[in-house]
Amino acid sequence: MLHLQSSNLLIQKTFTEALEANKSGEPLTFDRIISDFDYTNFHVSNDPENKTQLFLSVRTKAWNSILNCDSNGSQGVLSYLAAKYTKLAGITVAGGSESGFDYTLAIDLNQLTGETIVQLSLLKTNIMSYPFYLAFQEFATLSTQNPTTTTVTVGRFNEETGNVSSIDVSSTLYTIQYRDNENMFIKPSNDRITVIFETFFQDETDKVFGKVFLQEFVDARKRNRDIQSAPQVIFSTEPPLELQNHLPKNNEVNDEASKRFITFVLFPRHFANDELQFKTVSQLTLFRNYFHYHIKCSKAYMHSRMRYRVDTFVKVLNRAKIDEDDEENGNTETKRTITGRKMVY
Amino acid sequence: MSYLNNPAVVMDNGTGLTKLGFAGNDSPSWIFPTAIATSQGNSTASKKMTTNSTSGSNVTGSGNPYFGNSTSATSFNNLNSSMLLSNNLAGKRGTEDLDFYIGNEALIASQGPSYSLSYPIKHGQVENWDHMERFWENSIFKYLRTEPEDHFFLLTEPPLNPPENREQVAEIFFESFNCAGLYIAVQAVLALAASWTSSKVTDRSLTGTVIDSGDGVTHVIPVAEGFVIGSAIKNIPIAGRDITLFIQQLLRERGEADTSLRTAERIKQEYCYVCPDIVKEFNKFDKNPDKFAQFIVENQEKTQKKVVDVAYERFLAPEIFFNPEIASSDFLTPLPTIVDHTIQACPIDVRKALYNNIVLSGGSTMFKDFGRRLQRDLKGIVNNRIALSEQLSGTKSTGVDVSVISHRKQRNAVWFGGSLLAQTAEFKSYCHTKQDYDEYGPEIVRNFSLFNMV
Repeated sequence: MLHLQSSNLLIQKTFTEALEANKSGEPLTFDRIISDFDYTNFHVSNDPENKTQLFLSVRTKAWNSILNCDSNGSQGVLSYLAAKYTKLAGITVAGGSESGFDYTLAIDLNQLTGETIVQLSLLKTNIMSYPFYLAFQEFATLSTQNPTTTTVTVGRFNEETGNVSSIDVSSTLYTIQYRDNENMFIKPSNDRITVIFETFFQDETDKVFGKVFLQEFVDARKRNRDIQSAPQVIFSTEPPLELQNHLPKNNEVNDEASKRFITFVLFPRHFANDELQFKTVSQLTLFRNYFHYHIKCSKAYMHSRMRYRVDTFVKVLNRAKIDEDDEENGNTETKRTITGRKMVY
Repeated sequence: MSYLNNPAVVMDNGTGLTKLGFAGNDSPSWIFPTAIATSQGNSTASKKMTTNSTSGSNVTGSGNPYFGNSTSATSFNNLNSSMLLSNNLAGKRGTEDLDFYIGNEALIASQGPSYSLSYPIKHGQVENWDHMERFWENSIFKYLRTEPEDHFFLLTEPPLNPPENREQVAEIFFESFNCAGLYIAVQAVLALAASWTSSKVTDRSLTGTVIDSGDGVTHVIPVAEGFVIGSAIKNIPIAGRDITLFIQQLLRERGEADTSLRTAERIKQEYCYVCPDIVKEFNKFDKNPDKFAQFIVENQEKTQKKVVDVAYERFLAPEIFFNPEIASSDFLTPLPTIVDHTIQACPIDVRKALYNNIVLSGGSTMFKDFGRRLQRDLKGIVNNRIALSEQLSGTKSTGVDVSVISHRKQRNAVWFGGSLLAQTAEFKSYCHTKQDYDEYGPEIVRNFSLFNMV
């Protein structure tokens, strides 16, 4: 398993189970917790009266910051998700979200199809994709508004000089607070979209692994001609210029020192159509998980190498052992029990 | 510290099946074989590409219609792995260590040419740590989709697991996965905790005898106040598989149309029950022919139907627990006698409590009236002994209560007990955290404080 999938396998399984039980005429009762990365939890439950009516609620750490991404308030993300889901057979948006959860979908089992189940399992990706969607939109308006701006004088430059003609180019920065210490920043401008990840490690070993990995993201593209169309990746220990006006200044020094920043620069070719957009977004939203998954995998790999090494050393040591039996035989006769065990005095 | 809101992960890795899920759920989210299919090294990149595609189609063919292997394959997206890996060393090694499947996918992948199947757990204990580490890695990231840093984990271990194994588990969970906290519980204790859901249980004590019968072996484990009395544990080589084989043998002797192991297993699960008396049951069947059942076997395409009669094996099959001589010739002690011996081998002050709380766990204890029959037989043995001692000593005994508890969560009792305990507010205070581990090292997991719940 090289890649993590963007869909949640367990949601798929649960709803497939529900669908099949419903088809056979004995709908199941559900009250299950399902988890996803980055403090995301789902809850699948039945309507108390009607077992063919299921609810899928989601709670995610990133929810509040995603709500804040839209200047028009929280309606934006709700209508975005509603547009995505209500067109599918059997899904309606529940009147209010379940208490303790951020968003609830109501699912009618009688109309549920396989395709819908796949979409349900992508709920987290879809929620996370809202800021990206906003960024894509803004990119579209910016690129038409400001076609004269040359590619060199983009966002960052304008921001510093306070160029009046294109203030909007640089003023928006979508922040997704998807973990306690880590944020994701999306910055649209008129010819590119910049996505910046903060990384933070609790563990010292992870930090070392992490640095190698992040560096490799940058170098792989430089070294390899076949992946030149991939987004450009920049790795830095300092916050990139795009962020410097936005990062809170009161961060502890200690905290700040252990942070690394990785920047992906998306060009229009990475989000030209819906399919590409979805692919880009689902991979970027899983970036941190992918990254940590591989840190863990490489640790597991190193452990297996170490075990192998120890085994071979033990073999060498065993070969060097002197056979004690021969020595003893010379002196006294060894006594053995009937089962062949040696008697030890 | 928002990981406090995340549900704890409960993992029960058994010899045959692994049960994975989240605390607070009433059933495991995933149940699949504890199997791993690893690629057989030094295959060239091109060979790997072809095998990947073939095994992929296999999985989709037999798996679920909605999500086949496409979601999980170690796909290199038409990019040769060596093309992506620019680094010299990595280029030589490749990513073979990520090319593996676990669970049901492993069983399917192993039918292809380039994967070999292995079971990392033997007799309840982990034998191959390399495979186990990767098995865990995949179950956490792919099946449960959790970041281990954000979750507490409850793992299970068999009774008499050596402390070195615990340390290994802790090393993997804390060092590879950086899990937030870890608790390793003994399976029998969790099975006891699961019995608290039964209405028969009034006091939530962790004293009792656990009869754990899975597919391969049946254990009788006495537990006193959360501690396993190791010296008294007894094993019986009769378990689920023997019952299935016995049914198969009966079907073959009668010359039924279909005598496959699968059919025998289905019959075991759907038709078998425990009767109070075999002779009376035989008479009942002879007088009342509608006791005989018919089992219809359909082939995969649902084109052919075979009818298999189900006769005396309905009550004979589970009977081998109580009268082993009808199926085997080398093991002849009935289960109630074994339970009695086990309890008699325990310290005298806990024996009453052990008789009083006999808890069933595992799939092979699911037969209807299994608990009642066990209780009746065991009561007989105990009463005979009391009568004898009263006669010899001339004093009056206060009597011993025998009660066998069966409940609805019996099949996955161990997992369910874990889920029950891990959802309590106190659970996290019983765990060892990553900070503790960094401070004291792996030997910290040699001791876990017990759940002492009221």
